[in-house]
Amino acid sequence: MHYLLRRLGFYLLAAWAALTINFFLPRLMPGDPASTLFARFKGKLDPAAIEALRATFGLTDAPLWRQYLTSLGHVLQGDLGVSIAYFPSPVAEVIGTGLGWTLFLAGSAVIVSFAIGTLLGVVAAWWRRGWADSWLPSTLIFVGAFPYFWLAMAALYVLGFTLGWFPLGHAYSDDAVPGWTWAFTADVLRHAALPMTTIVLVTLGGWLLTMRNTMISLLGSDYVNLARAKGLPSAQVALRYAARNALLPSVTGFGMALGFVLGGSLLTEIVFSYPGQGYLLVQAVRAQDYPLMQGIFLVITLAVLGTNWLVDLIYLWLDPRTRDAGS
Amino acid sequence: MMRRAHPAALPSLAALPARARGALSALALVASSLAALAGCARDRAELPPGMLVVTQEQTGSWVRNFNPLTTAAAARWPTLAGVYEPLFVFNSVRSEQVPWLATGYEWHEGNRVLRVTTREGVRWSDGQPFSARDVAFTFQLMRRHPALDRRGVWGFLAGVRVIDPRTVEFVFQRVFIPGFDEVAAQLIVPEHVWRDVQDPVTFANEQPVATGPFTEVRAFRGQVYELGRNPHYWQPGKPAFEGLRFPAYPSNDRANLALVFDEVEWAGNFIPAIDRVFVGRDPAHHAYWFPLTAGVVYLYANTTRAPFGDVRVRKALSMALDRNLMVDVAAFRYTHPADATGMSESYAAWRDSAAAAAGDWVSHDPAGANQMLDRAGYPRWRDGVRRLPDGKPWRWEVLCVSGWSDWVRASQVIARDLREVGVDATVRTYDFGAWFQRVQEGDFDLSLGWCIEGPTPWHMYRWLMSSATIKPIGQASAGNWHRYSSSAADSVLAAFETATDPAEQRRLSSAMQRLFVAEAPAIPLYPNPTWAEFNTRRFTGFPSAENPYCDPSPNKMERGEILLVLTSLRPR
Repeated sequence: MHYLLRRLGFYLLAAWAALTINFFLPRLMPGDPASTLFARFKGKLDPAAIEALRATFGLTDAPLWRQYLTSLGHVLQGDLGVSIAYFPSPVAEVIGTGLGWTLFLAGSAVIVSFAIGTLLGVVAAWWRRGWADSWLPSTLIFVGAFPYFWLAMAALYVLGFTLGWFPLGHAYSDDAVPGWTWAFTADVLRHAALPMTTIVLVTLGGWLLTMRNTMISLLGSDYVNLARAKGLPSAQVALRYAARNALLPSVTGFGMALGFVLGGSLLTEIVFSYPGQGYLLVQAVRAQDYPLMQGIFLVITLAVLGTNWLVDLIYLWLDPRTRDAGS
Repeated sequence: MMRRAHPAALPSLAALPARARGALSALALVASSLAALAGCARDRAELPPGMLVVTQEQTGSWVRNFNPLTTAAAARWPTLAGVYEPLFVFNSVRSEQVPWLATGYEWHEGNRVLRVTTREGVRWSDGQPFSARDVAFTFQLMRRHPALDRRGVWGFLAGVRVIDPRTVEFVFQRVFIPGFDEVAAQLIVPEHVWRDVQDPVTFANEQPVATGPFTEVRAFRGQVYELGRNPHYWQPGKPAFEGLRFPAYPSNDRANLALVFDEVEWAGNFIPAIDRVFVGRDPAHHAYWFPLTAGVVYLYANTTRAPFGDVRVRKALSMALDRNLMVDVAAFRYTHPADATGMSESYAAWRDSAAAAAGDWVSHDPAGANQMLDRAGYPRWRDGVRRLPDGKPWRWEVLCVSGWSDWVRASQVIARDLREVGVDATVRTYDFGAWFQRVQEGDFDLSLGWCIEGPTPWHMYRWLMSSATIKPIGQASAGNWHRYSSSAADSVLAAFETATDPAEQRRLSSAMQRLFVAEAPAIPLYPNPTWAEFNTRRFTGFPSAENPYCDPSPNKMERGEILLVLTSLRPR
């Protein structure tokens, strides 16, 4: 329990540091949202508009530290402010539109990739020097070494554009009516197939290799030998004894990957026109939309910290040593 | 020590614990469904009948906002042209104000009072009649909320009042004829809806009540929305089609792909090599028209810094530039070199060809430029670089925005050409915000830039050479970044502000052009095209080079020009 509380304290400190950096970093960029918006019109908008814009966005000349305190107070009350790029929608609402899709696409991609990769790792390690062990890791590492952007574009071009097997973008057909129907679910899956496959393809190799390597080193350890000597069924030895312990480093990685899901699927979303968080972030930076940027970074921060917390919990379950140290 | 696993030790599926077995079968399910999905071919969806598919805004998903008064560029595209309507529509191809919600206007009381007659028989989309009261209400609303006053009309208006249901009167603070163009372009909102709106600045107006041809939000989803026609539209028989449909595309590339695939029928995107990429795929239906009406790209020289205050230097630098090469390299030959009046084709009706012909300083003549600089007393030293009289070398950066590839390429041509006449010029790209701050505050030597446009040359020249637009160095200025003024220009511009007679306006416009040609306050490079692509498979009547009835681009929404297109299109 003490261990968990100590971790919690650390997470609070990290959250505060992230909030502070989130506040100051965008404001160090030259320019402000009003002049950025004005300039987007390249002379088509009357210069009088710039004053109207400042009034609209409520840009003040108050000292930065006071703005910082106000903003911190608002965040604590759960008020993320009003987006500038999607004015006048509240930031929370704008993020809400993208969050679900990103969670679904990148989240399930990470889970699928982790599950398949780890399982393949077990197989490769158990059947060492077998077919799976000699071909899979190298092939997957080779595929994973492609720049993701390139791989996604190539997949979109060949499978979507030339062959027409997959839709060219979006999360569902334009005319599909969202709802919990079979037709809609199938449509969503059809649209997610290509982006998800590309993410899984490039990340699979990492999971496989981590799992395989840890597992191989564990297979030589005494307690595994003991388990074999006791005559336990080999499945039990492989999964309960070796794999469970070999999972530890992978679980850390898995937690990290889950946390980064919210911020990391930027390229996927841009290539496949997927209406998620990453695209919102790009928009926010382009429009110098401070509140939206802060909001998205906050969500990413909380996600990373939250999953780390989860990983801590899983560790307690997986690794009795942490339990001992904690109590 | 590593122990090699015996092949027989591989766990069989049956021997796996139940949990793992579940995971494996789930995996198998995913794999098989992926394979099944891959099997079905992409069905190229037929476009919905009667709906014109348009792409103009680029976004990942739509936010429902139809507030026509917000300055924040947050309202969906048709809000500014299609849902709401202005008093007059400005046709930039013909340089004329087309009566729209107003039928006419008159100046009274020594041109201090503008009286506008509103159109009879116009109804809001909820069936209520439109009247002069709505016009007055809209302007009063902007007075109470300066954030809505995107054209700054309350900078020159003193009051607005309703004379009778068809007449509204604008009282000006001073005689200011160009103010009419700003009043004319104002979109009008219904009083009976907006008087109850708590905060019109943040009002999202999800169910617009308006006078335009398309007012009914038929569907609004994250990736697509549709507008249906206004049942009470005041132009009989129009619009001639059911509605508009807007798919969300997050990037130019994605939108262009949709255009090429006949999924979009009207777009305003830049497409390189358009004849091959777009027209070539279906020459019978894929068409475009890029009129040069989007303003001229300028090279600005900061006249507060030596030697740019010297008109001979500005002209010589201009003569050093190979604009034909710039048009080839930077603008894909979609345009031609600018003339010395610095006007784009949207001012064609105002152009004084004699003034333009007198401007020989826009033709490429490096030898002449060198001679001119030698005579002006800026000697070229042995290192090939000229010096100021105090010995400071001519070592300048040409500023432009990183990522704006046309500008970057143009700057590279400029830097290369300037080296020919003894300038040690380098291109310096800045991130957009940083660049804008520097030019606005006058912290530059040479920079590329746009010019501010408007319906008359007064709008443009005021921001190029009037002392009224100069801000001190270090203070941000929306225009006149090069900080040039002359008393002659000031008096011509002031005279234009009080001139109502078209012949007088034309005479003053010619005087402005002659002044610009003589003084070269800034260096015009080439006019930008407005981008407009269309697919005529299902709709006809788009403006084209053969039928140039107005600007063809969906990007021209500032003064309602799109309404001219929307009310002219017909289904096949």
